[in-house]
Amino acid sequence: MTNGRKGRRRLPILQRSIRYHRPRAPFCGIGYCTNCLVRTDQRLNVRACREGFPTEGIRSTSHAWPSPRHDLWGLLDLLFPRGIDTLRGFRRPAWAAPVYQRIVRSLAGYDTPERVAPPPVPRPPRVCSTDVLVIGSGTSGTAAVDELRTRGVDSVVVLDRDRAANDGAMPGRTTAIFLPPPIPRAAYPFRVLASEGSDRAVLVSSRRVIVATGGYDASLLFPGNDRPGVMTADGAFSFERAGLEPFRRAIAFGGGDRALEVVEKFGDRLIAVVAPGEIGPDLARAASDWAIPLYPRSLILGAGGRSRLRSIQIRARSFGPKQTLHADALVLAHRRIPHAQLFFQAGARMVWRSRIGGYLPAVDARGATSVPGLYAIGSGAGAVGPDASRESGRTAARALIEGAEPGVDLTPPASTEPFYEMQGYYRELLAEHEGFAKWIACPCEDILLRELRRASEAGYEGIEVIKRYTGLGTGLCQGRYCVPDAVLLLSIWEGRPPTEVGSITQRPPLVPTTLGQLAELEVPLSTPEASG
Amino acid sequence: MSAPIRSEYRVVIVGAGVIGLYTAYHLARAGFGPVLVVDRGFLSSGASGRNGGGVRQQWETRATIRLARESVLAYRRFARDFGVNPWFRQSGYLFLAENETELERLRHVHEIVAGEGLPSEILDGSRVARLVPGITPTAAVGGTYLRTDGTLYPFPVVWGLYEAVRSMGVEVLLGAEALGVRSADGRLTGVATTRGTVATRTCVNAAGGWSRDFSERAGLTVANAPTRHEILATEPLKPFLDPMVVRARDGLYFSQTMRGEIVGGISPATRQPLTSAMASSPAFLARMASALVRVLPSLASVGVLRAWSGLYDDTPDGLPVLGEDPRLRGFVHANGFGGHGMMLAPSSTARVARMILGERVDLDPAEFGPRRFDLGQPRRFTEALQLG
Ligand SMILES: Cc1cc2nc3c(=O)[nH]c(=O)nc-3n(C[C@H](O)[C@H](O)[C@H](O)COP(=O)(O)OP(=O)(O)OC[C@H]3O[C@@H](n4cnc5c(N)ncnc54)[C@H](O)[C@@H]3O)c2cc1C
Repeated sequence: MTNGRKGRRRLPILQRSIRYHRPRAPFCGIGYCTNCLVRTDQRLNVRACREGFPTEGIRSTSHAWPSPRHDLWGLLDLLFPRGIDTLRGFRRPAWAAPVYQRIVRSLAGYDTPERVAPPPVPRPPRVCSTDVLVIGSGTSGTAAVDELRTRGVDSVVVLDRDRAANDGAMPGRTTAIFLPPPIPRAAYPFRVLASEGSDRAVLVSSRRVIVATGGYDASLLFPGNDRPGVMTADGAFSFERAGLEPFRRAIAFGGGDRALEVVEKFGDRLIAVVAPGEIGPDLARAASDWAIPLYPRSLILGAGGRSRLRSIQIRARSFGPKQTLHADALVLAHRRIPHAQLFFQAGARMVWRSRIGGYLPAVDARGATSVPGLYAIGSGAGAVGPDASRESGRTAARALIEGAEPGVDLTPPASTEPFYEMQGYYRELLAEHEGFAKWIACPCEDILLRELRRASEAGYEGIEVIKRYTGLGTGLCQGRYCVPDAVLLLSIWEGRPPTEVGSITQRPPLVPTTLGQLAELEVPLSTPEASG
Repeated sequence: MSAPIRSEYRVVIVGAGVIGLYTAYHLARAGFGPVLVVDRGFLSSGASGRNGGGVRQQWETRATIRLARESVLAYRRFARDFGVNPWFRQSGYLFLAENETELERLRHVHEIVAGEGLPSEILDGSRVARLVPGITPTAAVGGTYLRTDGTLYPFPVVWGLYEAVRSMGVEVLLGAEALGVRSADGRLTGVATTRGTVATRTCVNAAGGWSRDFSERAGLTVANAPTRHEILATEPLKPFLDPMVVRARDGLYFSQTMRGEIVGGISPATRQPLTSAMASSPAFLARMASALVRVLPSLASVGVLRAWSGLYDDTPDGLPVLGEDPRLRGFVHANGFGGHGMMLAPSSTARVARMILGERVDLDPAEFGPRRFDLGQPRRFTEALQLG
C-alpha cells in the first residue's frame, strides 16, 4: 500500500438490491447495510466490509445472475419503472395465484444454506459474570473503564464491535445483540447477549451496564440515493482503511463536525462541501485550506449516472438556482444517529432530541437512565465532542461506584428544543417532487418512497403501522438506514411531531446472529435466573 | 383525538384485530349497523400483527375442521374480495412424528380429517425428507400432511378488513380504550371508552389476549388465560421449504415465507409471566434455535433477523369462546382463539355475526359456548395439536 492511491481497487459491486436488482456498491462500511453481502465457504450473508474486502475466499450470493456486476434480473428495474405492488397487485386472475406465488417466491432471498457445506460447528459460548459491563470502547467507554480501574473496580468486562478491548478482558469484535430489561433483585440483574465474530455466542451477567455505543452516519433521501458511489462517512473511512479507493472526486454532505472529519481525511479528493443548513466556521476554514467550494443551505435534488454515480444535482434552498456537480461519490456526513437500540430494549425512557433528530435515553447529569443500573455515556448520552464524551464516561463511572440511584432529574422532554433542521430540508425537497419515481426509502427491502406516501394517504399512521404496511425497516439493517428519515417524512405528512410518529420496537438481535450460535446458549440460559 | 360520531350504536366491538374487524365485516355485509370498533392500540398491534400466519384444517373435531375449511375458502378469495393480497399460499401443513407412538396419535387425527373429505395423507420418513430437504433423519419417522393447508401474511388481512369495513360505514376508532360496560337488569346498555360512553345493546369482546381483562371490567369471570408466545424470523433465503412444519411434542413450528424468511416459534419451556407481555427473551432465542438446528442442521449458518412476541388468548380446551354470555345479555364473546385466530377468523366470526342478528348457527354451545367450562371438566378437544 505504498505511495498513495495508484492502482488501488475501486469499490466493488458485490450485490444487487433484493427486489429490483439495482446495482449496489458498499455503502455503510460498518456491517449493517446489505450492499456488500457475500458468502464464504463457511457462512451465509457475510458482510465483505467486516472482513476487510478480501479478494479471495468470498463469493457473491446466488441472488444475482450471472453476477452482481452484470445481472440479468436487472431488467426488472427497467420493466417496472414505478415499482411492483405486491400488496395490491397479483390478485387476478384467480387461477394464476399459484403461478404468481412461484415466480415471486423464486426471486426472494439472497442465498441457500445448502450452498455452504458443512454448516460450521459453533464454538461453545463464552459465559461470564462481572460487576460492570461496558459496551463500546470508544472515547467515552475507554474513559469510563480507566476511571473504574483507577478507583479499584477490577471486575469489568468490555465489549466492542470493532476493536479488541483495551486489556483483553474480552476479545474484540463482540457485538451486544440483546439487552433485556433487568431482573429485579437478582445478583446479576442484567443478562446481555452478544455475538463474538460470527461463530460464538457470549452471555454476560452483570450488576451494572454502561452503554457507550456512539453513533453512525445516516443516509439521505433523494432520487438515486442508492446509486453506487453514495456512501456514508463511516463507509468512506472504512473503505479507505481496507485499502480500497472509495472515490476519486467526491462531494461531502454536511455542515458540522463529521463533515469536518471528512474534509480532514479526504480534502485532496473533495470537489465540494454541500450542507443542508449553515456550514460551521471550522469546516469552512478547513475547506478553504483545500480550496473546496462550499454550498451551504442546499438541497440534493438527484444523482446522474447509470451504474455508478457521475454527478449530483443541487439547488440552493428557498428556490435558488440549480447546479450540477460532477463527482463519483457523495459522502454523507450530515447527521449522526446514536445507537439507541440497547436502551430501547432495556426499557429505558427515551426522549426525542431534535438537535440531533433522534432518540436518546433520558439521563441525569451522571448518565444514569431510568433503568436502575443502566448508564449512558458519550454521544448516546448527548455528549458532543471527545472532551465531553470522556468526561461523561468518567462521571458515570464515579456515579456507579458511589451506587447512585437512577436519576430523578432526567433530561427534560424535547419539546423545548428547536425544530430539527432536516425536517425543513425534506419539506422543501418533497414540495417540488411528484410521484417520487423510484426513490428508494428502504434500500434493504427496496421499498419506494411512493409506497410510504400512498400508505400515509390511505390513512395509515405512525411508523409502527407504516413499517408493517410497507415492509420498510424489516430488512437486514434492522431499520437503521430507513427509519430515521421515514420518521421525519411521516412527521411532515401527518402534521405532528416525530415523537407522535413514534419509533419502531428494537427487536433482538441487533445484528443478524446465526441459529447455530444462539442454539449453543440453550443450556446456560435455561438456569432459573434467565427466565425473567 | 376524535370521539365517536354517534351517541348510540347497534353494536360496539372491542378490539380491531382480525376477530373484531371480521365480525364488523360480517355485520356490515348483512346491513346491520351502525357499528363501532374501538381499539386502544394501533392497527395490528395485537396478536393479529404478530402471528405465524398458519392456516390449517387438521383438527380433531368435525366442527373445527368445518370452520377451518370455510376459512381456507375465504382466504383463497381474500385478495379478490378485499383488494389487498395476503399471499395465501396452499403449500400444506406437515405434522412430524418422532416415533411410532406419535405417529399413532397423528393417524387418529388423520382419520377424522380424511373422514371429512380432506386429502390428508400419512407420510413415511422418506416422503417427509422430500418435503423438508435436509431434515435430520431421526427427527421424523413419518407424519401427516394436508396439502390444502397453507400460510398467509397476516398484515394484509388486517388492512383489507380495515379498509372494507370503513367503506361500508363501520366506524373504527384507534387509540380508544374500552373501560367497561353499562348495564341494567342483567342487560348491557352501553360501553364506556376513553372517548366517552356510547349506548348500545350489543358489545363484542374481541380483545384477544386482553379479553379476560375486558370481561372482568364487565364484571364477568371467565376461563380465558393470556399467555405470551414468542416467534422469530431469519434472514431471507432462496425458497427451499414449502410446507409449514410442526411438531406436537414441544409445539415447534416453522415455515418459509414468500420473502424467504424462516418464521417460527416453539412452546415456552415454562409458563411465561405476563409482566413482559410483548418482550422477547434470550431463553426463547436459544430454545428455538436449538430445536430448529436439530431438525434442520443446515440452518445453523443462517442468521436470526428479529424476534418478537404476542399473546395467545388460551382457554382450558383450546377452543374459542363464541356467543352471548348468559350472565349479561348483549355481551358477546369472540375470543379465546389461542394460537388459531387467523385460521378460524373468517368462519367463526361469521357465526358470531349471525348470532347477533338473531339467527341460528351450527355451533354446539357445549363445544364453543361461554358457559361450557361451568359444566364440569371440559373435554380436551385438541390436545395433540396445541402448538407454539
Ligand atoms: C406468536 C404467535 C403466533 C401465532 N401463530 C398463529 C398461526 O400461525 N395461525 C393462526 O391462525 N393464529 C396464530 N396466532 C394466533 C392469532 O394471531 C390470534 O388468535 C388472532 O390474531 C387473534 O385475533 P384477535 O383479533 O382476537 O386479537 P388481537 O389481534 O390481539 O386484537 C385484540 C385487540 O384488542 C385491543 N384491546 C384489548 N383490550 C382493549 C380494550 N379494553 N379497549 C380497546 N381495545 C382493546 C388490543 O389493542 C388489540 O388490538 C398466533 C399468535 C401469536 C402470538
